[in-house]
Formats: sequence, structure tokens, C-alpha cells
Amino acid sequence: MRTRLSILTWPEPKGGPHHAICHYCDTVHEAKLIAEGSRASCVLCGATLYQNRPASLVRVTSFSLTALLLMLVVHTTPFVNMDAAGLRTELTLPGAAMALIEDGSQLVGMGVALFTIITPLILAGGLFYVCAPLIFGRIAPGAMFVTRWMSRSEPWNMIEVFLLGVLVSLLKLGKVAELHFGIGFWAFAGLMICMAAAVAAIDKRELWDRLEVAKGE
Amino acid sequence: MSKVNGKDVPRGLEKGLAGCHVCEKVSPVSLGSCPRCGGRLHLRKPDSVSRTMALVLAAALMYIPANLLPILTTRELGISTESTILEGMIQFWKTGAYPISIVIFTASIMIPMLKIMALLWLCAAAKGLVPHSARLLGKVYWITELLGRWSMVDIFVVAILVAMVQLGNYMIITPGPGALAFAGVVMLTMFAAMSFDPKLLWDQLERDDYALPTKPLSECE
Repeated sequence: MRTRLSILTWPEPKGGPHHAICHYCDTVHEAKLIAEGSRASCVLCGATLYQNRPASLVRVTSFSLTALLLMLVVHTTPFVNMDAAGLRTELTLPGAAMALIEDGSQLVGMGVALFTIITPLILAGGLFYVCAPLIFGRIAPGAMFVTRWMSRSEPWNMIEVFLLGVLVSLLKLGKVAELHFGIGFWAFAGLMICMAAAVAAIDKRELWDRLEVAKGE
Repeated sequence: MSKVNGKDVPRGLEKGLAGCHVCEKVSPVSLGSCPRCGGRLHLRKPDSVSRTMALVLAAALMYIPANLLPILTTRELGISTESTILEGMIQFWKTGAYPISIVIFTASIMIPMLKIMALLWLCAAAKGLVPHSARLLGKVYWITELLGRWSMVDIFVVAILVAMVQLGNYMIITPGPGALAFAGVVMLTMFAAMSFDPKLLWDQLERDDYALPTKPLSECE
């Protein structure tokens, strides 16, 4: 097999000329390759068409792998321990969703599990599964299917919203109980940063162009 | 055909070209589905305004029980008190926790209401019922999509409080029916924003023959 340095440049798929259509105003542009770190914007309304992120594949792979490892920590260690009335309770990420399910709010509990556990797992796992083989110019089995599901689940990833929820709850509980931060809390803050960095590290258009090129070889 | 600095720039609608919603590849809409990823091709999101309106109205209706029903019940030393979103916020304010009550007010009351109003405005503009600037409303749409998720914060606060405050006879917190209605409002407004097609705002301008704003012809910044 020929080794390709796909890390270096955004490859151009066969055929062409390729076009880009503005999501906001429907203006058709010719999609030219642009320099790393730059952005193509719509001539009519100024919205971003696509961006060439620097070292995209390497960044996605490393941030998504870190996110997956942090997920292990987040799921197994408590965020916070609370001492009140002689009792100690702890908060874990699956615990928050489970508490609602056990207390009769099954639908809301499943929603919380979907937004804070399942969607982040699909996103981080999917990005790693798809992008790591692409570094070597290879396409993972079912990569296009996985990528389609990643774009679908992206708006429902609410990790950063959950972190705000933790902060609000702690400020509320801090008045009535003694709180101790656990490893889980700091791992969760790290997870939030890694997820945001992984998602922002590659343009959707670049990912699909790379998949198309890798599939054709 | 729009004009930028005197030059004609084509629109997908005139050329019969559609950008795939999944992989962004541009293909003739007559193909039916995207040759790269298999996603369905549309010039405009199907029934965009009707779907958005239906979802927005459903969200507005559900907003009533979401605010009237309690989102959580606190049982402290045998005495139960139920609290709605607004009562929870007022309680924070009374105890002097102003920043948190402002966060809750913004995320749980202001954002859902502004979102419902913004989507109604966008639908009216897309139907040509109100005069508008497509560029400004494009920004309104972008912000609506961006902020939607943050309203879920109150649901997460309920989940966390229910998980942590299980102190036997001393104090127990259980979720209330308002939580389901409120989660419904947030999800419905998110689906409504997703089904709206901002390209309709520019279609309307073309039809009305507004003077289009111009911007220097540059593809890269």
C-alpha cells in the first residue's frame, strides 16, 4: 500500500469543479482549496462556508481519544460528596440520570442520559473511529454511516450545559451542606474542553472530502 | 440572480443545485439523493414554515404546564413543598443568590420565550408578511440555534438535586411533572429551529426586488 501523507493537506476529491452553497442565502460558490487556518465566507451574506483547520486529523484524533479516556474517569468517580445530617451522598454522572428514572420521571431521566452520556459517547467514539484511520489514508468499515450519525447527534450533546447545572446545584446545596469536590468534577471539566476542541478541530466538509478520497483508493 | 459589486452571483434555486444537508456536497437536485453519502437532496427544507410553525405552537402550549406545574418537590422534616421554575428562581433571589437567579431566569424563562418569538418572526418574514433584512434575520436564526440547548440547565439541576438530596427523614427532593413539560418545550423549540430554512428569507427578498447589500468579492479572509 502506498503511504499517503494525508495529515498535511486537505485532499481534493475527483471530478469537479466543486461547489459550495451558502446555508443562509443559497449563493453558489466555486469551492477552492484554501490555506490552513483560513476561512471561506459567502460573497453575499458573509456567513462562513468552510474552514481549513490546521493539523485537523491529528487534533481530532488526540482530543477525541482524551475525551474517551476522561469519560471512563467521569463515569467511575464521584463529582461531589455531600455531608449533611450525618449522611454522605455522592453525585456521579450516571447517578443523576438514574435518580430521575428511579423516582418516576423515566422520560426526563432518559433524556438526561441521552444528552450527557450517550450523545457525547457517539461523538467522541465516532470521531476517533473515523479520523484515526484517515491519518493513514484508510477508511474504517461503516465510517460514512458513523459520520452521518455524528452530525445528527451533535446538537444534542449538552456536556457544557450539564456543567453549568452542576455549578448552580452546588451553589444551592453549599448553603445547607458541606461539599467536597471529587476527581470526577475535574475530569468532567476536562471532558467538556476536549469535546469542544475535538468537534471544532475539523470542518464537516473536510471530513467528508477525506472520506471520499480514502474510499476511492 | 443576486448582484455583488455589479457582478451576478448565481443561487442554487436558479441552477437547480442543492447542498447535501449531511455532507455538504453540491449536486443537481434532480439526482434525488446525494451521490457521496446518500442523504436526500432538497433545494429547501421540506414544508419548512409549516413544520416550524407546528413545532413552535406545540412548544408555546407546553410552556404553560411547564411553568404552572412544580418541577420539584422538597420534603423537609415531613413537610412537603412544591416549587415551579419561577418559585425556584424567586427563592434564590430572596436568599441573596442574585447571580444564580439571573442564570436561571435567563436560561429557563427568557431564552425559551425569546426563541418562540424569534421563530414566529422568522416564519412571518419567510412568508413575506413582514418586511425584513435577510442579513439581520440570518443572525437572529444563528443565535436561536446556538442558545437553544442552554435552557436544559434547569432539568439538569433537578436531576442533580434529586440524586444528591436523599437524606432519609431529614430532607428528600423528588422530581415533579413540570420537568417533563419543560424538557418538552426545550426539545420542541430545538426541532423547530432545525426545521426552519433561512434560505427562505433571501427568496423573499428576491421576489420583492429589494436592493441587495453588497460586500467586496473575497472568498478568503
